[in-house]
Amino acid sequence: MDDSRSVSAPPGRVDRNPRMAELLDAARSGSEDALGQITAELSPMLWHVARAAGLAADDAEDVVQTVWERLLSHLADIRVSQALVSWLVVTTKHEAWRIRSSGRRQLPADQEWLTALPDHAAGTEEQIVLDEQHRALWRAVGQLSAPCQELLRIVAFVPRPDYQSVSAALGMPVGSIGPTRGRCLEKIRVLLADESDGRRA
Amino acid sequence: MNSPEDASGQQMDDFDFAILDRIRAIFEQVDPMPADLPERVRFSLALRGLETEVARLVTQEDPRLAGARGTEQSRTVTFDSDSLSIVIRIAGNKSGSVRIDGWLAPPQRREIEMQTSAETLHVYSDEEGRFAFGAVPQGAAQLVVRAAERDQSGRGPTVVTPTLVL
Repeated sequence: MDDSRSVSAPPGRVDRNPRMAELLDAARSGSEDALGQITAELSPMLWHVARAAGLAADDAEDVVQTVWERLLSHLADIRVSQALVSWLVVTTKHEAWRIRSSGRRQLPADQEWLTALPDHAAGTEEQIVLDEQHRALWRAVGQLSAPCQELLRIVAFVPRPDYQSVSAALGMPVGSIGPTRGRCLEKIRVLLADESDGRRA
Repeated sequence: MNSPEDASGQQMDDFDFAILDRIRAIFEQVDPMPADLPERVRFSLALRGLETEVARLVTQEDPRLAGARGTEQSRTVTFDSDSLSIVIRIAGNKSGSVRIDGWLAPPQRREIEMQTSAETLHVYSDEEGRFAFGAVPQGAAQLVVRAAERDQSGRGPTVVTPTLVL
């Protein structure tokens, strides 16, 4: 069994997310309020990790619950906030994988989000431009491989200070200075560039 | 812009961050997390905090009294909580780590965690309540008995033992 639960941050690295680090400290010393703030802030990330792994909505909800329950007993092992976020992402992926491999192999019926970018009521000019940008991006996302779609969906919900530790935990390339643009992000830039070239032509 | 072999080696720039922000906005729109999920999480965590039982040390069998098991150094420790008894036998390995064999009573399948300062180890007890850790580093350690995987037996409250020195 894949056991990646004892994730810890590289030694000697400063905590890049001071507020989360503070909440983590408080939660470790028993503050339910701090734990509540952490769960409120990071549950959307867990939800999107679970859904990106192909879980039905009710399974995804169960996974989010399970992961938070597991965290309670690991609080003492998780010393910095980067370790917290990557532990959460990796544990959620692991739990989602466990559920998917324990039966249903087909994509559940409610995994149709990829086709569903709802029509927008016309708003201000600014909103219309933004909407068109979203649609172009959405078409580009739709052309990516499934692993790239999953990866970008996860990373999009990771707090920025935690990109590096999460991308390391997920096996994305990481440079020595900062997070590098992964293959998937590079691909989407190319697709977006092609699209705007196509429109101009 | 960049050489092919280096296509994924560039540092992320503002445009990358903008793309990710927009991807996030779209997913929030097309597949949002159920709004009440964080509240339900908070509720279940509060409940679980109350459910955790702390087991107390009941007996610690002196190896000298344990009788003739050759030269093997082993001791047996028993913990009791309201819902569970945990008996473990601790024996030294040649490598300097220790081997733990344990039993749960009443027998049930649970997830068993051994938390040490170096790492956290996970095993499952079988239907007879037996479990084993082949090699645990010496030093302080704590056992946590959790619910087994869903749809399995053993859904009792989480039980933690006091720290013991291996």
